[in-house]
Amino acid sequence: MINRIIVKGYRRFGTLDISPNAGMNIIVGDNESGKSTLLEAVALALTGKVNGRWASEELSPFWFNQARVAEFFAKYGTDDQVALPEILIELYLADRDEFQRLRGVHNSLQTPECPGVRLRVVPSDQYAEEFEAYLQDSPPAILPVEFYTVDWRDFADNPLTQRPKELAASFIDSRTIRSTSGVDYHTREMLAENIDPKERARIAIAHRKSRQELTEGTLAEINARLAKEHSSLHDRPIGLQMDQSARASWESGIVPQVDDIPFAMAGQGQQAAIKVALAMSRTSGTSTFILIEEPENHLSHTSLTKLIARIEGLASDDQQLFVTTHSSFVLNRLGVDKLVLLHDETPAKLEDLGEDTAAYFRKLAGYDTLRLVLARKLALVEGPSDTIALERAYKDATGRLPSEDGIDIISMGGLTFKRALELCACLDRQAVALQDNDDRSQAEVLSEVDHLLVPGKRIMLVSDPAKGKTLEPQMCSVNDDKTLRRVLGITDRAKPVTWMTNNKTEWALRVLDASETIAFPDYITEAVGLLR
Amino acid sequence: MNRLTLAVAGGRKTQSIVDHCRAAPKERQILVLTYTQNNQRELSSRLARYRPLQAQVEVMGWFSFLLGHWVRPFLPMRWPGRRLRGLNFEGDPGMFTIGEKRFLDDDGRAYKRHLAQLALETHQASMGAVLNRLSRIYDEVHVDEVQDLNGYDLEVLAELLDSPMDIHLVGDVRQALIQTNVRDPKNKQYKGTSIKTWFDGHAQRKTLEIADASVTWRSNQLIADFADSIFDASWGFSKTVSENSIVTGHDGLFALAPKDVDEYMARFDPLCLRHSVASAKGLDLPFMNFAVAKGLSRDRVLIGPTGGIIDFLTKGKPMGELASCSLYVAVTRARFSVAFVADDPSRLGLPVWMP
Repeated sequence: MINRIIVKGYRRFGTLDISPNAGMNIIVGDNESGKSTLLEAVALALTGKVNGRWASEELSPFWFNQARVAEFFAKYGTDDQVALPEILIELYLADRDEFQRLRGVHNSLQTPECPGVRLRVVPSDQYAEEFEAYLQDSPPAILPVEFYTVDWRDFADNPLTQRPKELAASFIDSRTIRSTSGVDYHTREMLAENIDPKERARIAIAHRKSRQELTEGTLAEINARLAKEHSSLHDRPIGLQMDQSARASWESGIVPQVDDIPFAMAGQGQQAAIKVALAMSRTSGTSTFILIEEPENHLSHTSLTKLIARIEGLASDDQQLFVTTHSSFVLNRLGVDKLVLLHDETPAKLEDLGEDTAAYFRKLAGYDTLRLVLARKLALVEGPSDTIALERAYKDATGRLPSEDGIDIISMGGLTFKRALELCACLDRQAVALQDNDDRSQAEVLSEVDHLLVPGKRIMLVSDPAKGKTLEPQMCSVNDDKTLRRVLGITDRAKPVTWMTNNKTEWALRVLDASETIAFPDYITEAVGLLR
Repeated sequence: MNRLTLAVAGGRKTQSIVDHCRAAPKERQILVLTYTQNNQRELSSRLARYRPLQAQVEVMGWFSFLLGHWVRPFLPMRWPGRRLRGLNFEGDPGMFTIGEKRFLDDDGRAYKRHLAQLALETHQASMGAVLNRLSRIYDEVHVDEVQDLNGYDLEVLAELLDSPMDIHLVGDVRQALIQTNVRDPKNKQYKGTSIKTWFDGHAQRKTLEIADASVTWRSNQLIADFADSIFDASWGFSKTVSENSIVTGHDGLFALAPKDVDEYMARFDPLCLRHSVASAKGLDLPFMNFAVAKGLSRDRVLIGPTGGIIDFLTKGKPMGELASCSLYVAVTRARFSVAFVADDPSRLGLPVWMP
């Protein structure tokens, strides 16, 4: 199992140092936070390949961290000159017996306790002079990768030429498969591992035989005719034969099928499901790393539920999963406690999250946990009417909507404040929570979440019990009935508190659109002060 | 338990390792170490005949073993910042060179002559990581031709004996011909046949169990007895027993006059052996040097003797240790007969062959 991943200078990662969970890792983050890049880096160090091609063949200037490249060129030739940008990807493995061949002290932590593999892209010794000459010539700020070399080794400093046999990796991406060969590279790899060598040999022989029959049968007749007709044009016979080159191996001619339909023609959801099934049916007992990109793509809710159940089955002591996702459903179902949040190169993990909280989110699979996780500044409120009220209060005070200031107001829905704040505490998030008193004293309400609050960072504000137990009486206590009737557009006979309680979201929307000045209860005004 | 099997020439030493590997259970991780490349090839090809084996068997040369498992993974712990980039076979850093330059040349290649010392020092600097790693990769290690190890190799061997792995050593001290390192003053008291003393010391410390395998399947009893007689009784070698009882009509030891050599060659087609290019100069035969013949097996052998060998045969004058080992190797190549060529064959005290 991978205990630690260190990435330096690769794409958007200046430095990334992350200790993944043993079984399941759900990688979330904003767009461009490097989720796919992380999977790509892991695959690169495990297999030495990118999309089925060797790293050295695929190497491009854009693999290098652009900030470092820019710094290098900006400072080149000055007194502050920095070293040439390099790429380092290291996977530290668990200190298990089966990994010992990969163990040594050749890693950036210089620990002798760890087996592992590392892939480096470094300036080649062979081209040192040419490289220097190139730089002297004030070139564009792009690294000449021709002068770089890919060095892929285990921690014992043995060069690797293929994936170490101790490590198996499956890459399941949800990209559309419509290539001519019918199957993408990763799927082909997985298929190949599901067919044993004897079966492979049998297929290859039968394939060659049928090609031979075609050459000797149908093609022979045609060749005889061609030879006769063309003998006057060319002194050597011209004919047709089956392609015998490596390109013509059975692997490229034989494609998988699902229910008699070629794999590439199957639905995208089904393709994804099949890939997961293939990864699962590998010989058990081998340690495997399974990388899954956005499993929610192309899938209906029902299919996704099925797929998630299968993915859950994959995580075990021998298999480590890395799943990227944009879906709260996937996150909740696979376990919020397995979350790895990528955010400005400092990944956060939720390992301290209580098992009961994780179980709670699992049951509440529809809840938009990701919004909670990804928000920069959070306001947690009871329900939709509280959301709208806070928005209006904020806008009145600042002239801007909260969203314009990067504030995400999240309504609890079925979630309790305690669970939400626990998640925030684990992620060390800033948050302001606004809770109804429900006829209890403020101190009593606060006591339930006290351990999760940090002054100036995570704050809970509870409405004053003297002014009503929910938002509606609270609003009525700070605005006179006349104003409220006008704003809400209700008759003089109607009692605002009753009407509002019966039309929860509607009153809030009417308040939001009101042109008049509206007063808000103290705890909301205080929240606005804290948020701005 | 660690074992040392001291076998005689033709005692099927290598085969005993092969047989052991064949019988080993599934999942058993076995490393077989040999010193010479010839032996490595021989072991690999014999094992290949029995593939697939249940156990995982890996055959490796002694130097590859030191480089790959002792030095390479942990070298920076002994010499920070250094990486191993290969082996310098012939180079010599000079007798008085100290520090990392004693072990690594400018290209980062390890000098062969100090490799075992570098291995040992890297192991010590790694604080146990070398052996911890090794003993989690392999369950057992076999060392063939163990008598060829000396100097710091023996220190490495001692570390192996103290490790949790089962160590099985196989060798014949009477064939201690090759020295792994020409100039290694470490453990020089155990050079050559004296390595027996080193083994005995480990047996006393209970880190090694020594078993004598005194049966030869190659040479007949006449040749075996003669081979035994090369070493005097003070060595304490047990008497060799031959399991080869085939009678060909020309069996045992013979003396031969130079004039009869052509006829003898035509009749028996023996393997011709000499000590070195400097000996048996008067004879125009396809000679092979004694040391090179190690490991070979032939029906008949013809020897162009040195002066020392003639003295041994005529007067019973004991030979030096190395000369004794060489002669032992030479005569024990033969299954049926050994003939010595001498100007005056009757003086050798052996039956004289005449056409």
